Amino acid sequence: MTPVLASLRGLVRRFGSVTALAGANLEVFGGEVHGVLGENGAGKSTLLGVLGGVVRPEEGELEISGQPVELRGPRDAWRHGVGLVHQHFTLVPSLTVLENLSLGRDAGASGFALPQTRVRPAAERMMARTGLSVPLDELVEDLGVGDRQRVEILKALLREPPILVLDEPTAVLTPAEVDSLFDLLRELARQGRAVVLVAHKIEEVLAVADRVTVLRRGRTVLTSERGGVDPHRLVRAMVGEDAATQTAVGLGAATGGVVGEASGGLLAGEVVATLDGVRANRASGAAALVDVSLQIRRGEVVGVAGVEGNGQRELALLLTGRLSPPAGVATVPDGVGFIPQDRTVEGIVGEFDLVENMALALHDDPDAGRGMWLDWPWIRQEAEAVRSRFGVVAPDVGARAEGLSGGNQQRLVVGRELRRARDLLVAENPTRGLDVAATAFVHAEIGRITSVEGGPGVVLLSTDLDEVLALSTRLLVMTGGRLLEVPEGSRTREGIGRLMLGGLQPDV
Amino acid sequence: MPETDLVLFLEAAVRLGVPLALAAMGEAITERSGIINIGLEGSIIGGALGGALGALATGNAAAGVLAGAGAGLLVAMVFALFSIGLRTDQIITGTAVTLGGLGLTGAVYQARFGATGTALTLPTLAPMSVPGLSQIPWIGSALFDQAPTAYLSYALAPLLWYYLFRTAWGLELRAVGEAPDAAQAAGVRVRWVRFWATLFGGALAGLAGAHLALAHAGTFAENMSAGRGFIAIAVVVLGRWNPLWVLVAALLFGAASALQFLLQALGLDLPYQLFLALPYLLTLAALAGWVGRSRAPAALALPWPKER
Amino acid sequence: MYEHGGRTAWVVGAAALAATAVVAAVLLWVGGYDPARAAAAMWSGAFGTRGAFVSVTLVRSVPFLLTGLAVAVAFRAGVWNIGAEGQLYAGAIAAVWVGIEGAALPAWVLLPAVLIAAGLAGALWALIPALMKLRLGVGEVITTILMNFVGINFAAYLVHGPLQEPRGVFPQTEQIADAARLPALVPGSRLHVGFAVAVAMAVVLAAVLRWTRWGFRVRAVGASPRAAWAAGRIDAGAVVLATFLASGALAGLAGGVEIAGLTYALYEGLSPGWGYTAIAVALLAALNPVAVVGTAILFGALEAGAGAMQREAGIPAVWVVAVEALVILAVLATDQLMRTRVRGAQTPGDDEGNVSPEPARA
Repeated sequence: MTPVLASLRGLVRRFGSVTALAGANLEVFGGEVHGVLGENGAGKSTLLGVLGGVVRPEEGELEISGQPVELRGPRDAWRHGVGLVHQHFTLVPSLTVLENLSLGRDAGASGFALPQTRVRPAAERMMARTGLSVPLDELVEDLGVGDRQRVEILKALLREPPILVLDEPTAVLTPAEVDSLFDLLRELARQGRAVVLVAHKIEEVLAVADRVTVLRRGRTVLTSERGGVDPHRLVRAMVGEDAATQTAVGLGAATGGVVGEASGGLLAGEVVATLDGVRANRASGAAALVDVSLQIRRGEVVGVAGVEGNGQRELALLLTGRLSPPAGVATVPDGVGFIPQDRTVEGIVGEFDLVENMALALHDDPDAGRGMWLDWPWIRQEAEAVRSRFGVVAPDVGARAEGLSGGNQQRLVVGRELRRARDLLVAENPTRGLDVAATAFVHAEIGRITSVEGGPGVVLLSTDLDEVLALSTRLLVMTGGRLLEVPEGSRTREGIGRLMLGGLQPDV
Repeated sequence: MPETDLVLFLEAAVRLGVPLALAAMGEAITERSGIINIGLEGSIIGGALGGALGALATGNAAAGVLAGAGAGLLVAMVFALFSIGLRTDQIITGTAVTLGGLGLTGAVYQARFGATGTALTLPTLAPMSVPGLSQIPWIGSALFDQAPTAYLSYALAPLLWYYLFRTAWGLELRAVGEAPDAAQAAGVRVRWVRFWATLFGGALAGLAGAHLALAHAGTFAENMSAGRGFIAIAVVVLGRWNPLWVLVAALLFGAASALQFLLQALGLDLPYQLFLALPYLLTLAALAGWVGRSRAPAALALPWPKER
Repeated sequence: MYEHGGRTAWVVGAAALAATAVVAAVLLWVGGYDPARAAAAMWSGAFGTRGAFVSVTLVRSVPFLLTGLAVAVAFRAGVWNIGAEGQLYAGAIAAVWVGIEGAALPAWVLLPAVLIAAGLAGALWALIPALMKLRLGVGEVITTILMNFVGINFAAYLVHGPLQEPRGVFPQTEQIADAARLPALVPGSRLHVGFAVAVAMAVVLAAVLRWTRWGFRVRAVGASPRAAWAAGRIDAGAVVLATFLASGALAGLAGGVEIAGLTYALYEGLSPGWGYTAIAVALLAALNPVAVVGTAILFGALEAGAGAMQREAGIPAVWVVAVEALVILAVLATDQLMRTRVRGAQTPGDDEGNVSPEPARA
């Protein structure tokens, strides 16, 4: 009988009006690889955050090695033997890899020791043992995403935690690296550790996990031995019994339900934006875009898939006229709507009310007042129009935007930017972090505007393959700062995945 | 030019540079942790008064220096409690702490010694000549016939450098200033580190103030810090947040301030008030020419955690 | 930042003042003074008689009002102009120079010329840190403070040197021409038209911020530079430059009005630190220009009362500087505490600032 290393019961945690966990359970044994599955927004990261000490639950119990514990922070979690590999990177960019690996390792006890010299041999041994190879003396900011992920994993492994928790570690790894990572996880489990692995790809989890827990809407809906479930049952558990037969997961496989290729193909009209041999650089001087050429026509939805950080950001900024290319020609229209990825930081001003947030798009519009003066009553009407048409739930348009839920903030941004997008709409991960209803709403709006005669062209940059597959009339993959056209035959998750990873240049 | 003039100039350069060096090295540590303490000026003036009162009370200049460091630390603690504890804006908090420091020291001084400002004579921190080294031609007496606080600043520069770049504690401090979220995820207590780094900076600024009162002026005067806290913050930028370079930059600024003596000796008599403006102008010019080439800690001046 | 809707601003302001009063009273008590006597002396000095209120309190409030507006508009745009002090000196220097050199001109030309010169000089003084910020990436906090010391010492040099009064006895300039002087606002008092000018500036500034495109851009850049750029397509650099110059002009005007309305000459130490006090004035007003009128009068009263406090209760007037610092700290603290409470009550949207609530799949 293997011991229960960690047990989480009845966890509840809300973020504002969003309930991330609504009574989730998780039990992890020593010696097993435990997969946690769930849809976007199901509460996976929050659940792991509780185990890693970065999220404090409002209700529920946490036991580690049979003892009830309260984790006050990551430090506490480390002390209790939980190593968390975050999904977002938690490295210090301006320090070297070795310094990052040394950070926080019991500095209090031996603060005067040279941590680098102490850690280097351990790091080298671990790299040899695991096959995860990173340049120890380079600055993290000079590394590509794949290397950074490897550093994150190494950082956790070096502390040899009895419980290792990995939040979607495979997204930026190449298939070969994924394989060797999985070998390593199995090896760690054989040593008696518990390994918790979060993923949203069922195949990956089934490839490595001994047991599986599925979350839906913040609840644990299924826990089972790997042998006890088949993929279909897992899918149904993830999306809900009724939804499975409809569109939710089918967004990917069934395509076309929202915007058929036909509509795009038929309506594609005049060219509204052109990039010709465009380059762009990051702040560090490294190339972000390499010789990108692209034409966008009215009525088409150009989907751009890819692992984050491959030049999508720069492409969006170019298309919206917020960046001018150091080389090449970018011809972009005036009537551009822009749905930025991080809406709370870039899409809205939290302390402004809805009217003022509307004015962000209208302050230089000749209709919005006479001369230097702003016509606030008119802007208020426009804000009212967006609020009612897009169903923004707010007490009134005088309410501060920061008081709205994430979904409603997104509705506000989408409504405002659609009004602005006479010629072109550029959307960066427009449904990231949204619940199912809000996601469907955004998808429907994109479909609606492109199916109208004279509607704008849309560029959809998304790391969510299902979303791009479902909405795009034309499909591109961005990798290493280049755009690749996806051939008809490759319009599947797997096909695109191959293009993404195959094109992924190590250490770009 | 007579040799003695140059020697006097160099001596003045070091004497004027030492308080800057102490305050700036402390601020460099504070800023490495992500906190910019504009209230440094308040710590300096607090240290000057604390040093004066301490020396008067004990009749011992060394005890005065310790009292000065303590006073500077207390002033910095007010800043830390607001900006780290309550997460108030560091710039405004620092400005308020400077104002409060200048106001309170003035009030205490007037209450103690009367508003007319009868000149106060303090036990002074006498120069200590280092045997041998002080005999080096030209620079010997300038560098090695100084108050003990000067030797402290020479010693601190390499020590702090070692701490910052060669110890696990220093690594934690730098990580906290660059990426507090990442540091926290690695198990570092971000606020704790920042708190102590700020207090340390305040204590060194207090030392600088005590040096002003006990080694430089031999008395206390209202506003005698005269903007040195702000110049020290600029010196940190010029020294690229590295204690060794900060010491060099501070001594260079001491030299700029001491130019007055040199030029007078050369018979160039610029008006006194323009001389007073010179260090500030030079600092501005140096910042303009230099800043592009140095990079501040990424999380500098940002309240943490950033929960809104 | 630090701007609120009406009611919150009142609550923060009142709470901050109450906290300041308590802490100041304790400090005075610890210092061996009688807080009640101090308060009584202050009150009589500031509001005791009509003469005290009009000729001292209101007169003292004018530089606070104009520098307070300078700070308020700058902070609204996220420009940390701590340099109102130096800009004020630049304005005063320009005003006194024009007021002396233009003695031959009629009042309707000379007086506006004096004030415009003061504003331009203040803007010019602010231009240096503004350009250092925008072109070279040097933060404005340190540069504006350094410019203060340059300005103060430059003014000192002028009154000891080139602009010293002809007899060469006192460290001050000669007096400006009669035609360059602001007339009295209340006959028989020292209150000059500069007060009305300052109140008018407050109203204009409030209207500009509220009702014009430029004012909206200022507020957007100040509230969120990223959103102003990404969603608003606002050129933050242009907004910062314009706001910096406007802020400098207001501070310069403060210097000009002080010369043309009250002192008629420039002397060393003209400003006892108004440019710094202005930060307290602006923060207490929640950066609202119209409210600055009220807080400026309050600080005018504080200065007026400080004199009486020293005379009647033997408490050094420099205490007032410490009280100003307390006001700033109290506003910061209450503001922060209010924010936390309000946030807690209204349940914000999803908490992206917090740790990992399910971002996306990659």
